[in-house]
Amino acid sequence: MAGVSVKNKSAITLKGSADIVCEYLDFGINSILFQRGIYPPEDFKPVENYGLTILMSQDSKIKEFLKVTLDQLNGWLVDRAVKKIALVISNVRTLDVMERWDFNVEYEGDTTDGAQTSEKPLKQIKNEIRDVLKQIASSVAYLPLLDCLCSFDIQIYTNDNVKLPTEWADTEPAHIKNAQCVKMRTFNTQIHKLETMVTYKNEE
Amino acid sequence: MSSKDSVNDTIIHMVTDLIPNNSKRLLMMNTPLKRPRISNPDSVMDKQQQKRPKCPSPGSEEATPVKRFKENDLFYVGSPREIRRLRSDLVDARNKIENFENRIASLHTARKSIEIMYDKEVNELKTQRDKDKKSIEELESQLQSIRKREQTLKKELFDCNMNYKILKNNTDMQIQKLDSSISTLKTEMQYSTSDENNEVTALKRKISELEYIYKAAQEETEAHKSLVVELNKRVADRSNIEGQLEIKTQALAKAHLQIKDISFSKASYLEYQQQSKTQQHKLIAFSDLEKENIKLREEVKNLKDEVHNKLVLEEEVHSLKTRLQNFKGIDTKYTNLQVTNAQTELYLEEFRVLARSICETSSDSSLPRLLRGVLENLQQQEINLTSEKIQLESQLSQVNHVAKVAKDELDKSQKHIADLQKNVKQHQNLIHRMQKKLSLVAGERDSYRKQLDSYEKDLTICINPASLANPGGVQIQSQQERIKNLEKMVDGYRDMVHKLETDLQNVEPNIEMEITPIKAQQISRLQDEIEKLNNENAMLRERKDVLEIQLEEYLVGHDETKARIIHNEKNPLSEIVKLRGQENEKLEEEVDRLKRKIKNLEEGLEASRLADETTDNKDILEVKEQLRSSEQHLQRLKEYFKSSMQEFRNVSYMLLGYKIDKTSSSQYKLTSMYAERPDDFLSFRLNNDGAMNLLANEFSSNLHEMIDLHLHHQRSIPVFLSSLTMDLFNNRTITKTFEVEDESDDD
Repeated sequence: MAGVSVKNKSAITLKGSADIVCEYLDFGINSILFQRGIYPPEDFKPVENYGLTILMSQDSKIKEFLKVTLDQLNGWLVDRAVKKIALVISNVRTLDVMERWDFNVEYEGDTTDGAQTSEKPLKQIKNEIRDVLKQIASSVAYLPLLDCLCSFDIQIYTNDNVKLPTEWADTEPAHIKNAQCVKMRTFNTQIHKLETMVTYKNEE
Repeated sequence: MSSKDSVNDTIIHMVTDLIPNNSKRLLMMNTPLKRPRISNPDSVMDKQQQKRPKCPSPGSEEATPVKRFKENDLFYVGSPREIRRLRSDLVDARNKIENFENRIASLHTARKSIEIMYDKEVNELKTQRDKDKKSIEELESQLQSIRKREQTLKKELFDCNMNYKILKNNTDMQIQKLDSSISTLKTEMQYSTSDENNEVTALKRKISELEYIYKAAQEETEAHKSLVVELNKRVADRSNIEGQLEIKTQALAKAHLQIKDISFSKASYLEYQQQSKTQQHKLIAFSDLEKENIKLREEVKNLKDEVHNKLVLEEEVHSLKTRLQNFKGIDTKYTNLQVTNAQTELYLEEFRVLARSICETSSDSSLPRLLRGVLENLQQQEINLTSEKIQLESQLSQVNHVAKVAKDELDKSQKHIADLQKNVKQHQNLIHRMQKKLSLVAGERDSYRKQLDSYEKDLTICINPASLANPGGVQIQSQQERIKNLEKMVDGYRDMVHKLETDLQNVEPNIEMEITPIKAQQISRLQDEIEKLNNENAMLRERKDVLEIQLEEYLVGHDETKARIIHNEKNPLSEIVKLRGQENEKLEEEVDRLKRKIKNLEEGLEASRLADETTDNKDILEVKEQLRSSEQHLQRLKEYFKSSMQEFRNVSYMLLGYKIDKTSSSQYKLTSMYAERPDDFLSFRLNNDGAMNLLANEFSSNLHEMIDLHLHHQRSIPVFLSSLTMDLFNNRTITKTFEVEDESDDD
C-alpha cells in the first residue's frame, strides 16, 4: 500500500500518509486482537512487516470488517475528518467496556492543502511504527487478563458534517469506570500524527 | 487445323510487331517472309533457313567498296586542287563509308536481334508443334480406344441378340407348355363342375328335406305359441283370481277388524249402559244433590260470614290484647310517676321553704318571682365581680410587666454602675500608673540633668586640660568620674528597666484579667470555633483530595472527546451479541421444553418417549383440539336435544293435555292442562312387569269412581286420563259459564 502511494521516494502524499496510518491500524488492531486473546490464536498467521512478525487474523469475517472499516477510514483521513479511532473491547455478556484503545489523530502542517506532501523518509516512519507495535505487543505484561467472552468494535470520532455511508450509524462513547490509562509512543508522517493509548478497567 | 492457323497468325503478328522498330530495309527484308504463306510450318521454317544465309551477303558486299576506295587513292596523283578535291571527296567518301559501315553495323545488330527473335519464335513454334503432335497422338489413341470400344459393344450387341433369341425360344416353349396345362386344367375343371353339379343336386335335395323339417318345426312352434297364449291367458285369469282373492282376504281382514270394532263397541256399549245407569243414578240423585247443594251453599255462606265475623272478632281481641299490654305498661309508669310526684312535691316543699327563707316572705304566690329577682340580682353581682376580677387580673399582669421592666432596668443600671466602678478603678489604676510614669519621667529628667551636668563638667574638664595643658592625672580622674557617673546612669537605667518590666508584668495580667473577661470568653469561643473550623477545613480538604483522586480515576475512563462517534453497524460485537441473543432464546426454549419434559416424567406420563417430545406435543395439541371439537359437538347436540325435547314435550302437552315430569326413577308426574290447582297431579310408577301403577295422592283420592270404572274395570290408563281430561274440561267450562251467569246477574 505504502509502496504504491509513495511513488517518489523522498515525498509522501496526503493519500500515502492516510495509507500508512491505515496499514498501521490494520496491523495494530490485529496485534491487539491476538495479544488480548479476543479470538483463538489458531485463527492468526504470522506476517512480516516493519521488521517484526505480526500475527494477522485469517478469519474472513474479521478481515472483511477491517477492510470495510479501514477503507472508509482512509477516505475520512484524507478529508481530515477523523479526530480519533477507538478500538473498544467489551464483555459480550454484560456489555461492559473492558478496554479502549485510542488512536488520536492530529493533522500537521497546512491542514487546508489537499496536495500536501511530506519529506520524512519512509524508513524513519516505519521505525516509529515498529516501536509502537512493540509497545502494543508488550502491553500484555500489565493489562489485566480478559477472562470473559469479549468482542470488539471500532468507533471513529469524526467531524459533525461527515456523511454517513450505509450500514454506519452514530453510537455512544465507550466509558470505562475505575480506569487506568497508559500512553504509548506516537508516530507521525508530518501529515498525520498518531498517538496510541490504552485505557483499561482497573481490577480492584 | 484451326490451331495451326492460330499459330501462324501469332507468328505473323509477332513479326509485324517487330517491324516498326526497324528501318525500311528491314521491311524490305521482311517482305519475303510475308510471301511464303504456306500452311505447313515446316516449309516456312525451311524457307527462312534458306533465306538467312542470303541476308549477310549484302553486308559483305557493301564492305568491299572501302577497300576499293583505298585502291583509288593510290591511283590518282594529279593537281593539288584535284588532290584537294579528291581528298575532300575522299574524306566525304570516307565519311560516307563510315556512315555506311555504321549503318551496316547497325543493320547487322538489327539482323542479329531479329535472328535471335526468329530463333525464339522457331523454338516456340517447335514446342507448339510438339504439343500439337502429342495432342494428335493422344487423339489418335483415343480414337483407337473408341474404335475398340465400338467393336466390343458390337460384340456385346450380338451376344445380347443371341441371348434374346434363346430367351424367346425358351419363353415360347414355356407358353406352349402353359397352354397345354391350361387346356388340361380346363378339362379337369369341366370334370369337377360336373361332380359339383351332382353334389349341388344332392345338397338341394337335402335343403328341400331340411325345409320340410323346418316347416314342420314352424308348425310345431306355432302350435306351441298358441299354447303359450292360452297358457298366458290362463295365467292372467289366475292372477286375476289371485288379486280377487287378495281383495277378498283384505275385505275379510277388514270385516274381521270391523267385527272386532263392533264387538269392542258392543263392549263399550255395555260399558256405556253401565255408565248411563250410573249417570241415571247420578241424575236421580242430582235434584237432591242440588237441593243439598243450595243448602250447603247457604251454609257455606253463613259459615263464611261467621268466619268473617270470627276474624273481625279475633282482630279486635288482638288489638285489645295489645292495648291491654300497653295499659299495663302505662299503669306501672303511672305508679312510678306517682311515687316521683310525691318525692318532687316533698322537694318542692323544701324548695319553697328555702325560697321563703331566702325571700323572707310568707306568701307563696309571689315567691317564684321574688326568687327570680333574687337570683337575677345574684347573677348580676356575679357578672360584675367577674368583670372586676378580669380587670384586676389585667392590671396585675400590667403591673407585673412594669415590675419586670423595672427589674431589667435595675439590672442594667446595676451593671452600668459596676462598669462605671470598673472604669473608675481602671482610671484610678491609670492615674496610679501615670503617677508612676510621672515619677519615672521625673527620675529620667533628673538623670538627664545629671547627665547634662556631667557633660558640662566633662566639657569644662576637657576645656581645662586643653587650656591648662595639664593632662595626665586630672584627665584620668575626670575620666574615672565620668565612668562612675556613667555606671550610675547605667544602674539607674537598669533599675528603670527593671521597674518598667515589673510594671509591665503587673499591668499586663491586670489588663487581661480585668478589662476583658468577656472578651476573653469571646476569644476563647472564637478560638474554639477557629479550631473547629480548622478541623473541618482539614477534613474537607482531605475529602476533596480523595474525591479529586476518585474523579481523576473516573475521568481517565471517561471519554470526553467531543466529536461525532460513528461505527460500522455490522461490527463483530453487535453480531456476536445478536448471535448470543438468538442462542439465549433457543436455550430458553430448550429449557422450557426440558422443564416440561421433566414435569411429564415426574408425573410418570411418558418415561420412555423422551425423544419424541416434539411429536408428543403435537399429538397432545391435536388430541386437545379433537377434544374441544367433540365437546363443541356434544354441546351442540345437547342444545339440539334440549330444544327438540322441549318441543316434543310441548307438542305432547298440547296434543294430549298432560304434562309428564319424571320426579324420580320410574316415577312420573302427570299434570293436566285443565287442572284446577297446581297441586292437582297424578303420579304413576313403572313396576317391574313394565306396567304403570297409579299412586294414591290427594288428587287421586277424589277420583274413586273414575278409577273404579276405567282402571279396575276397563284396565285402560289412556281412557282414564281422557275421561279425566273431559271431566276437568267440563268443570272448567261450567265454571266459566257460571262466571258468565254471575256477571249477567251482577248486571
